[in-house]
Amino acid sequence: MKLMFDPIKSKNVTQNYIIYGAVAIILSLLQISLLNLIEVKGITPDLLLILVVWITLAEGQFTGLFFGFGIGLLFDFITLDVIGTNALTKTIAAFFVGYFYKEGYVSERLGSFFFVLITLVTAVIHNLIYYIFYIRLSDLNYLDFFIRYGLATSAYTGVFAIIAMLLNIPRKQINR
Amino acid sequence: MQYFINFIVKFKEYFTFVALVIISLSLISMGSVSKIGGLRTIMIGTMGQLQGVFSWIPNPGAVQSENRALRELNLQLSTEVTKMRQSLLENERLKKLLELKESTEYEMIACEIVGKSSVEMRNYITVNKGENFGIKKGMVARTDAGIVGLVIAVSGNYSLIELIANRNVKISANIIRNNIDGIISWQGEDYFVINNIPNSFDVKPGDEVVTSNYSNKYPPDIPVGLITKAEVDKSSMFMKIVMRSYVNFQTLEQLFIVKYIANEERQRLLEEIEMKLQIKKSEK
Repeated sequence: MKLMFDPIKSKNVTQNYIIYGAVAIILSLLQISLLNLIEVKGITPDLLLILVVWITLAEGQFTGLFFGFGIGLLFDFITLDVIGTNALTKTIAAFFVGYFYKEGYVSERLGSFFFVLITLVTAVIHNLIYYIFYIRLSDLNYLDFFIRYGLATSAYTGVFAIIAMLLNIPRKQINR
Repeated sequence: MQYFINFIVKFKEYFTFVALVIISLSLISMGSVSKIGGLRTIMIGTMGQLQGVFSWIPNPGAVQSENRALRELNLQLSTEVTKMRQSLLENERLKKLLELKESTEYEMIACEIVGKSSVEMRNYITVNKGENFGIKKGMVARTDAGIVGLVIAVSGNYSLIELIANRNVKISANIIRNNIDGIISWQGEDYFVINNIPNSFDVKPGDEVVTSNYSNKYPPDIPVGLITKAEVDKSSMFMKIVMRSYVNFQTLEQLFIVKYIANEERQRLLEEIEMKLQIKKSEK
């Protein structure tokens, strides 16, 4: 009979999930308290989106969806945004990233420019959807605003994804 | 049954995705930022304390920008002081002639900014004074230069201010030179557009803009900004007017909370009418 429940694997998975949760809380606090120091013309990188991309590429689409939703909801709550906006956009982001998950190639993907590229594309998709909700109550021109801010925010997020990528390089080397 | 379970398991990602999207959309349709619950107010206090811990960290970009802005302001003020002295004397004389009442002076509370949140183009600041100092939701924040925003939530010792540089903020404003009223909305960075001013009106770059008497949120005559571009839009009935805010939102460090809350009776009336209109809409 095939063993359905592996206690060692399950313990590691739970440990990983707790770490992801803790990192999400820390990054949320960083995002709203310290990130204004590196703000450029009102634009800041989306650290939590990088985390969602990371988790999805590391754990797969199914797990990524839950973390995307949970992290988005947490972010909506602490940033006083309309509840559900970030939950929706980050869930969609995780769904998209999920197609690039490949078992056995996790470290290679997280520790290479592939991760940066995926983060950049995901950030563009995330912002395309986010700004629909952002603009809906205003007189702002969607396309104009997205080109000015959405793309800039995506690029800035991509730059920060390089740091996340560099963090994973030692792990990749150890694994080899 | 087994087939059904296998089907669900096979496409679990899609089912989960659809379910989470539905939950998110339901949440979006339920609430907005203005409906801050008690839990969120606690959050503001906590965030205020956290931001207070990090407020000592200098932001070199902001300091440089503030210095430049202050030098420009200083130059501008020194030339204006002379003009103002003359205007004041003339004003006093005219007031007596027209028997105008002195405009009301509002009490102000000086605050230090302990935190700025610029998340996904939503701009808020947290100040180090709250309910315990007499600050209430709906009061206006300003600097010596002009209007900054509106208090949207308060805890004991902190207040959260929504800057006017936010996409859902609309301000009823007045162009001083020719007494024309329009609606201001944010356009990005320190720039705003003034809507609803017909093409036939005389508006020029350099015209000063203040809050209007018609505003149901802001007290009248608070400086807002300077018009930088005014063009006739041939494709519409209204002009294309761009205004730059007097306040440099990047370099704010201190501000004043004006102890002014718009007339509650007027607010209630507006809310009632809005509600009636919504009911009518939904009946149709």
